[in-house]
Amino acid sequence: MKNLNHISIEKVNAFYGDHRVLKDVTVAFPRKQITAIIGPSGCGKSTLLKCLNRLIDLTEGARVTGKIIVDEIDVLNSSVDITDVRRRMGLLPQKPNPLPMSIYDNVAYGPRLHGIKDKKKLDETVEKYLRIGGLWEEVKDRLKSPANTLSIGQQQRLCLARGLAVEPEIILCDEPTSALDPVSSQHIEQQLLKLKKDYTIVIVTHNIHQAMRLADYVIHLYLGELVEHGAANDVFENPKEERTRAYINGTFMTDLKIDSEVNLKGNVCPFNFVYAKQALHNIEKGKVLKLIVDDPLAVTEVPRGMEADGHGVLSVKQINKTDWEIVIRKGG
Amino acid sequence: MDKLHEEKLFKLLMLASLAIVIGSLFLVIAVIIWNGAPALTFSMITQTPKGGYYLGKEGGILNAIVGSLYLAFGSMILALAISLPAALSLQKDYIGKTKAAYYIRLSLDVLWGTPSIVYGAFGFIVMLYLGMRASLLGGIIVLTLLQLPIMIRAMEEVIKMVPVELKEASYSLGATKLETTFGVVVKQALPGIVTAVLLAFGRGIGDAASVLFTAGYTDSLPRSLFDPVASLPLAVFFQLGTPFPEVQARAYASALILLIIVLALSLTSRYLSKRFLKNIIR
Repeated sequence: MKNLNHISIEKVNAFYGDHRVLKDVTVAFPRKQITAIIGPSGCGKSTLLKCLNRLIDLTEGARVTGKIIVDEIDVLNSSVDITDVRRRMGLLPQKPNPLPMSIYDNVAYGPRLHGIKDKKKLDETVEKYLRIGGLWEEVKDRLKSPANTLSIGQQQRLCLARGLAVEPEIILCDEPTSALDPVSSQHIEQQLLKLKKDYTIVIVTHNIHQAMRLADYVIHLYLGELVEHGAANDVFENPKEERTRAYINGTFMTDLKIDSEVNLKGNVCPFNFVYAKQALHNIEKGKVLKLIVDDPLAVTEVPRGMEADGHGVLSVKQINKTDWEIVIRKGG
Repeated sequence: MDKLHEEKLFKLLMLASLAIVIGSLFLVIAVIIWNGAPALTFSMITQTPKGGYYLGKEGGILNAIVGSLYLAFGSMILALAISLPAALSLQKDYIGKTKAAYYIRLSLDVLWGTPSIVYGAFGFIVMLYLGMRASLLGGIIVLTLLQLPIMIRAMEEVIKMVPVELKEASYSLGATKLETTFGVVVKQALPGIVTAVLLAFGRGIGDAASVLFTAGYTDSLPRSLFDPVASLPLAVFFQLGTPFPEVQARAYASALILLIIVLALSLTSRYLSKRFLKNIIR
């Protein structure tokens, strides 16, 4: 039987100069599941991710000790062929970083590096992974145009396709939706959920909602220390550690009481806006209003407008194919 | 002084500086065209100097045009072949952060500021030592030395600007340093590299002092790398030095030809880099 854990790390310490960023982290990432690394900014989440594919080597003065075992290979061992390790791990960055070439060449870049020269085979590979990345339909007629002409959301899906094209077993995501609008974020999340049947996915996020939506397994880091890890349900519903509980509650109201609900389906902007304002006008300060909308424009514009009016937007999420839920607490 | 006046004063200052720059450039070009255009005949660019050319008789300065093109392009290609790897090696990924790189940059900056006559004299001494006489090859080598610091430092500046995220993307796909350097860094920095080459070419083709001793001067066309060769800056210098107004006018015409060559190359490379530019990540 194959080992259930795909990546195991033992006593990993990372240093930037004298500053110790990771402290004796020992944890394992289950195979073909989504593992979310959560924690506040500066807690070492991204550093841990960078250790996995040793991209941390590029950082000046960085040093890592310990063991990171991927398929019985110790990644941190300096005799390991690091290019081979890296191609087994696709990386989805924080900000989309298309390469300075065409859409086609971006996806073909990896396969070409690893020796695929045959034009027909490259064409097939490019199409296959653009489809998996959910971008093919949008770009099939302009594969030769520069990647920088894509929208930022499309660029991120291109990066996903490019990472998958080298046929990795693991996908590392470093806050992959933090630079994207809600609709593009949603798109990336859906792709990741689809991909987990074939890949082991590690996602760094400081968005608790995202972690709840995606993760099967959760690792909570705080100031470089491993606070808690376990199955997502256990950690989110019943955290063993007080720090984890505090972190989750601090950003997410698990026992959020909805005081009033308004269904705005079928309305377009600016009517969504007007009705939302009216609804907020009718409730007391501090009470919570839930809106259901189905106009894509409202998903970004209503929360923005309400925040501008001094109300607090608690969450925005898609509840089914067409509908979105916006939760707002009435403010001053 | 209130902010509005400050703003106005600065705007005025900026406009004045621009006027000085554009005005003086325009004056130089106007003087050259005014004096040179009447003397610019077809035979100027198709013939070599005949007997008595420097007294105002028949002939042209094809020798200097061909010589300058040979010298400038030869040295540009040689300098590019040396500068690109050198500039790339100064990346952080290679030796960029070492003490050695610091001293290399320092010495390049000093070399950049060294007068070209020093290069010429240095080249001349080495050639004497080797028993070479003034030749196209000598000129190319000394011009290459002259261009190296400019090219390397200018290229390094643009290579440094390549976002680290692009390199990370390449590395994370399993690329080696070399593959990343040529597959991503050079592609992203290409327009800047073209500019660096152009900058160096301009210095190379316009320099008189460094080729004075090393390439020599001759009225005939070069037949091999070991023949002495004429150049446009020296042609301007010699013709201006004569007491005859007709020959002096030809000096301006020669300067005009030099200007046109630089302008043509500038426009071509601008056109080319516009085509490369479309893929650049901003």
